[in-house]
Amino acid sequence: MGGWLLRRALQAVATLVVAIVLLFVLMRAAPGDPLFRLSADRPISQKEIEVLRARYGLDQPVGRQLLAFVGGLARGDLGVSIEYGRPVTSLLVERLPATMLLGGSVLLLNFTVGLWLGVRQAVRRGAREDRWLTTLSLTGYAMPSFWLGLVLAWLVGVEWRLLPAAGMQDPLLSSDAGVLARAGDVLRHLVLPVLTLSVVSIAATMRYQRAAMLEVLHLPYIVTARAKGLSERVVTWRHAWRNALFPVITLFGLWLPILVTGSVFVEAVFAWPGLGSLAAGAVGARDYPLLMGASLLVAALVVAGGFLTDVTYALLDPRVRIG
Amino acid sequence: MGAVSAARWRPRLTVIAVLAMWCSSRAGAQSESATTTGIVIVTGQQATTPVPTLMEGAANSVGNQDVADQLFLRLAEMGPKLLTAGDRDFVPALARSWTRRDSTTLVFEIDPRARWHDGVPVTARDVIFTFKRAKNPDLAPRVSELLRQITSVTAEGESRVVFRFARAYAEQFYDATYHVAPIPAHLLDSIPSDSVSRSSFAASPVGSGPYRWVRSVPGQFVELAAVPDFFLGRPKIERVILRTAVEPSARLNLLLSGQADAMDIIPPPSVGRVASDTTLRLIAVPSSTMGYLLFNQRDPKNRARPHSILADSRVRRAITLGLERNQLVQAVFGSHGMVPYGPVSQLLWIRHRSPRAGGPNVSEARRLLAATGWGDSDADGTLDREGRPLRLVLSLPNTSGIRRQMALLIQEQLRRIGVQIEIQQLEFPIYLERRSAGDFDVDFSSVNQDPSPSGLTQSWGCTGGNNVAGYCDRGVDSVMEQAIGGRGDPGEKWIEALTKIEQDAAATFLYAPAFMYAVNRRFRGVTITPQSAWLSLRKWSVSPVPIVGRSH
Repeated sequence: MGGWLLRRALQAVATLVVAIVLLFVLMRAAPGDPLFRLSADRPISQKEIEVLRARYGLDQPVGRQLLAFVGGLARGDLGVSIEYGRPVTSLLVERLPATMLLGGSVLLLNFTVGLWLGVRQAVRRGAREDRWLTTLSLTGYAMPSFWLGLVLAWLVGVEWRLLPAAGMQDPLLSSDAGVLARAGDVLRHLVLPVLTLSVVSIAATMRYQRAAMLEVLHLPYIVTARAKGLSERVVTWRHAWRNALFPVITLFGLWLPILVTGSVFVEAVFAWPGLGSLAAGAVGARDYPLLMGASLLVAALVVAGGFLTDVTYALLDPRVRIG
Repeated sequence: MGAVSAARWRPRLTVIAVLAMWCSSRAGAQSESATTTGIVIVTGQQATTPVPTLMEGAANSVGNQDVADQLFLRLAEMGPKLLTAGDRDFVPALARSWTRRDSTTLVFEIDPRARWHDGVPVTARDVIFTFKRAKNPDLAPRVSELLRQITSVTAEGESRVVFRFARAYAEQFYDATYHVAPIPAHLLDSIPSDSVSRSSFAASPVGSGPYRWVRSVPGQFVELAAVPDFFLGRPKIERVILRTAVEPSARLNLLLSGQADAMDIIPPPSVGRVASDTTLRLIAVPSSTMGYLLFNQRDPKNRARPHSILADSRVRRAITLGLERNQLVQAVFGSHGMVPYGPVSQLLWIRHRSPRAGGPNVSEARRLLAATGWGDSDADGTLDREGRPLRLVLSLPNTSGIRRQMALLIQEQLRRIGVQIEIQQLEFPIYLERRSAGDFDVDFSSVNQDPSPSGLTQSWGCTGGNNVAGYCDRGVDSVMEQAIGGRGDPGEKWIEALTKIEQDAAATFLYAPAFMYAVNRRFRGVTITPQSAWLSLRKWSVSPVPIVGRSH
């Protein structure tokens, strides 16, 4: 197991290195110059462009820029954002908690409620509950997140004023408010974005889990378990569910990077101060250092997702590490 | 069976009831907080480095300027007419008075009551320190260019500052006061000049304005607090929150849900929705934006050659005459836009003296095109010459809804005179790259102007840094130079320059809008200044009674 784990970890690191080089080169090869953006709505002198180009190292050949980036990366320095004029690492660290909170909440709901409902559907296949949940999940899956977000913000936030329409905290909350009051405030702001993102993701998980469970529930060892007199709860959750988890583990690996990339629109609609909106802004502005930092994070999450999926497979199924 | 079902559902209903109570109780708490003497303004950009001399490159943003204007006081502020020539329209701020010694020397007296937020008096040393930084092109390439006519800034005692200029010109006072507000020398002179942007001062600036810095929550908001002993009068609004939401729909939701009290630049399609909220007051504010069709006079593929179609001013003139510009403006901006005469936004004072823009004249447009050899030989509705159709590509960024909407109307209107327009929507960075390289036929430009008309030389002067279309009229250059030099009445000279640009049909000037701002009606004495929206915030007051009730 140890050797296999080491080989798999080395593969992950190699993938990340290739991703960094590709991302860096492709970004520079794409049309659009970060400094032309400054002339978007006001005249800008050539002198000003030259000074700024030198300040951000954009006057150097791409190879030298890449070396400088890798050197900085080794020291934990991702450079300075052209758009914000601040270190990229600080910007990412500032925005990471909001993204983790939003993405983590969605993942939690997804892999608790989604799995539970998927199993319930499979166990009650063909019953009224299964039919209702199938209809609901297909509706949820078909619903565009951006549309749902706009509707929820308008209806619940503006018209009914039940929950905040946008933002992550009430800036007028008294400075002497306690931890509970602050947590409650963030929680209220979290409800609508999480709901928007969860509807689609839970629907997908439910469909996956239902299909996987249905395949397992007809296998002979389940019949044997029932014949031994085990309760239906034990058969379902201890025997069937464990083997029906494999496709869902793959899904989890795929969902990990979507934590950052998938919430771009929802972050914009709800003015959620996460990494998604930061990265989207960096694309539009061709803010190379920030774009590189955000892409690196996503690449790391993709690689980590794949690695975690493989390790979990290996833990659950010894045939994987042997193969 | 019914009892069993009820027992199963009871806990779930309880949870739902508790959640509903939680939501409604918090909604109540939110409206309570709105009754304090604070204001929440929702904007599209968050301040990152709101410090004069640091607002360079991308940091030269509205978000930074809005906050800097509350933290740092200029020597003098512009008056309501926004007149940049001379000093007649300026009002004292950090300087209580000024005198002119000769045609190239201005003397300012710093108000002795002025203090930095840490209590230290503002002195001439601060002004000298600021201008030394601002004139360093390596530190402040943008501002140093704007201050190039200022040759020296010196002190005479603690409170007198002497500005000397390279030559006599009309906007000396504007240059000395508008571009940069003084920053505190006693806090900054020990920091290496190229490290200020990374210093604790940049993260928590200390200024001399009506509001002091409290905190910044990245991606969310900046909080400012009133300076109780501000020497020009204590601000009546105690807390100012500048809340950030990049997406316009999120900004609108924050405003309409009562989470924000004020919002800048409401998108034109949403104005009706805001107007229906009786707690909000809509205010039209002249904007610095001006949109126009810029005709490339050089061949996009070979800049040494003239453009095969647009080098002829009669074709350019025909396009202008073929457009119902008032109709275009009405369709997009309603009653809050105007067709400018020349490249002039509503911010520029010279617009008050300029003639009205001409209307359409389709028959004259057709005559001009026919005179240049364009005719419809194959009767397909599109003019042609020597087998080539009169087809032009109109480039615009895909991020601008206003320009997208207007481009479709333009395409339709020009079809009437036989000009075929192909609309090319480009991703913003690509659009800018092509524009800067002169790689376009017709560019749908939009520019934000400074209050000074002297910025026009950048786009309409033969050697202007932003003259991407290759337009060059030595006569225009000469008149603009006279206007800047203040020889004669600068207003008259500027109008002469505008008239020549219009006659040359260098561009079709389409729109100069006023933007709509919304402010909750509980605020009194509300004025919004076009050059900086929230500049007069310190003079606003707030009603202790919240305005309740909405009608949608």
